[in-house]
Amino acid sequence: MSGFNRRNFLQTTGAFALAAAHGGAFPGIANAARTDELNIYCWEGYNSDDVLDPFRRETGAKVRAEGLTSDPDAVNRLRAGETKVWDLINLNNPWAREMMWPEGLIKELDRDRFDPMFNDMMPAFHAPYEWAMDKTGEHLLGMTQRFGPFNFVVNTDKISRAMGEDQGFNIFLDPAMKGKYGILTYDNWNIYHMCVTAGVDPFKSHSKAEIDAYAKVCKQIFNGAKLLTDDLVAMNLALINGEIDAYFTGGTYTASPARFDGSKQVRGITPKSGPMNGKGGIVWIELTSLVNNPNPSTIAEDFLAYVQRPEVSKKVAFAEGTYNPVTQMGSKEVMAQFNKDELDAIQWDTLEEEMSNSTDYDINPDYAEMYDIYSAAKRERES
Amino acid sequence: MIRWLMQPGVRAAVPISILLLLGFIGPLLMVTGYSFMPPRTFSLTGTPTLANFISIISDSYYISFLWSVGLAAITVLILLVICYPVSYGMAKMFGPWANLVTMIIAVPLLVSENIRLFGWVLFLLKNGIADGSLQYLFGIHLPSILYKVPAIILGLVYVYLPFMLFPLVIGLSMVPNAVKEAAFDLGASRFQVFREIEVPLAMPGILIGSLLVFVLALGSLAESKILGGQAVIMIADDIESAFTFAQNWPKGAMLSLLLISSSGCLIFFLFKRIDLDRIIGRR
Repeated sequence: MSGFNRRNFLQTTGAFALAAAHGGAFPGIANAARTDELNIYCWEGYNSDDVLDPFRRETGAKVRAEGLTSDPDAVNRLRAGETKVWDLINLNNPWAREMMWPEGLIKELDRDRFDPMFNDMMPAFHAPYEWAMDKTGEHLLGMTQRFGPFNFVVNTDKISRAMGEDQGFNIFLDPAMKGKYGILTYDNWNIYHMCVTAGVDPFKSHSKAEIDAYAKVCKQIFNGAKLLTDDLVAMNLALINGEIDAYFTGGTYTASPARFDGSKQVRGITPKSGPMNGKGGIVWIELTSLVNNPNPSTIAEDFLAYVQRPEVSKKVAFAEGTYNPVTQMGSKEVMAQFNKDELDAIQWDTLEEEMSNSTDYDINPDYAEMYDIYSAAKRERES
Repeated sequence: MIRWLMQPGVRAAVPISILLLLGFIGPLLMVTGYSFMPPRTFSLTGTPTLANFISIISDSYYISFLWSVGLAAITVLILLVICYPVSYGMAKMFGPWANLVTMIIAVPLLVSENIRLFGWVLFLLKNGIADGSLQYLFGIHLPSILYKVPAIILGLVYVYLPFMLFPLVIGLSMVPNAVKEAAFDLGASRFQVFREIEVPLAMPGILIGSLLVFVLALGSLAESKILGGQAVIMIADDIESAFTFAQNWPKGAMLSLLLISSSGCLIFFLFKRIDLDRIIGRR
């Protein structure tokens, strides 16, 4: 594990669930009528009983949800034949449009039913929302819900919000910060942010000079870090207790649990400017799509409609573990579900500004090469 | 052949053989197969290649291997020093209290390793339990060992202590008191008895304990991640990364194969030197 985190735990329990779902253990289950069964493969939150139980009671269906551990891993599992297992898949924005739809791994949604729901969301997500549509703009590929800026996190008692936003990722290159920050090892995000730190847009093909600049920053960031962990709780604890002043890679998703617990000095920061068409921040948006299951569940679309309801949207936003804004917060009924502390936990006061300083998460065409550089820098770190 | 198959021993071994074949040999063969597949592929039907091996050898993975081997060896040495006197007491001196000591040491095994290690983090953290208490009581500020190599060693020693202790207890209880008494009667010093009687007779327990701890520590990950803040990257960490974020199953499989074969060689070498029948049948 990996440090103690729910993702590792879910990975293990998920393996058992999967073995059963494959039909090897219970062949009768896999081949039974799919009117009363739903299998969801999702980032943690949608697998919370708070979210699933009311749907189970309403439909009487057997709803099984497994937490996933990384977007590419999940896509590879669908490619390896798990389209037979899952009915819904919940991933970050680029995968549906760029990979899963062209490869026939997902199906389109009924636009007559779902387009109007986009118009109840925050204005930036109104239909036709780019990441929810295929490249021709005709087919609806999924529904958005959770999203959030994801850049870095500071203790505002040590580094002010204004200083973080003005200096951006460059604060991690400051010699005075050596030994005073951690790296949250969400490796794919770190690679994007190290590109941004090097002044390189991560979401395009890179020249040799750009890769070299990235490699240099990679080494410098790793060598200056006090600790590395993939556990956001451990990282927040180190930030609160003064072991570190900031951590590289983080945002509302990681800061919100600490903020909700009262540590308001823990704050996700979105740089004001950077190399992505002038923007310095990245925002992720989850998209939940219908898996192209040859024997599909008839209630999969119903679940997508169910999670749009105000009270369920709130439960998704505040599912166990991490707290995040949801696109449905464009509606007054949804907003009425949140109290002041909850809005403060997800940094609602600056969300719009942070979104306008961010570009959408996308696929990095040079990820494989950059990953090798990244993992070598991590291994060769001077400790 | 048929007569051989009809023997009760062979028939009784069928269920466990099937289980081992499916649950142990099968995955090992899969790992071996994947390690020779082209990098970043996800099937076993590609053209076999040595690309993963070459990439591992030419990259800096030796650092992770060396750290893992080094930390495992240090853990074994520290645990031998710590556990020898305790196990001597449990085998020869504590009498009925030995059961209580066994229980005290065994009970934490019921709690997840990650949770126990996270407990240590809370204890060692800056302004945490140890540092905070000392500041409050005596105004002393404790230098932090958290997120450094000594913290990893502390975690390894703490987690794997029972795996060294119990084999040592068995090993030392195999040393007959009469033999030691005879040696003392013949004029041997305490050190001579220790070196020439006790250690050689307890050697099977010492070797098994050392081997268990070494192999477990070699594949450890949580101690470096939770207590060490990944101050060093263990080889198990590289394997995990290859299978997850890197999505390079063949490279992860080759790293696993190298780790498994190096531990396998060590076990083969040691088991050629000790006789399990002697340990089990002796008392």
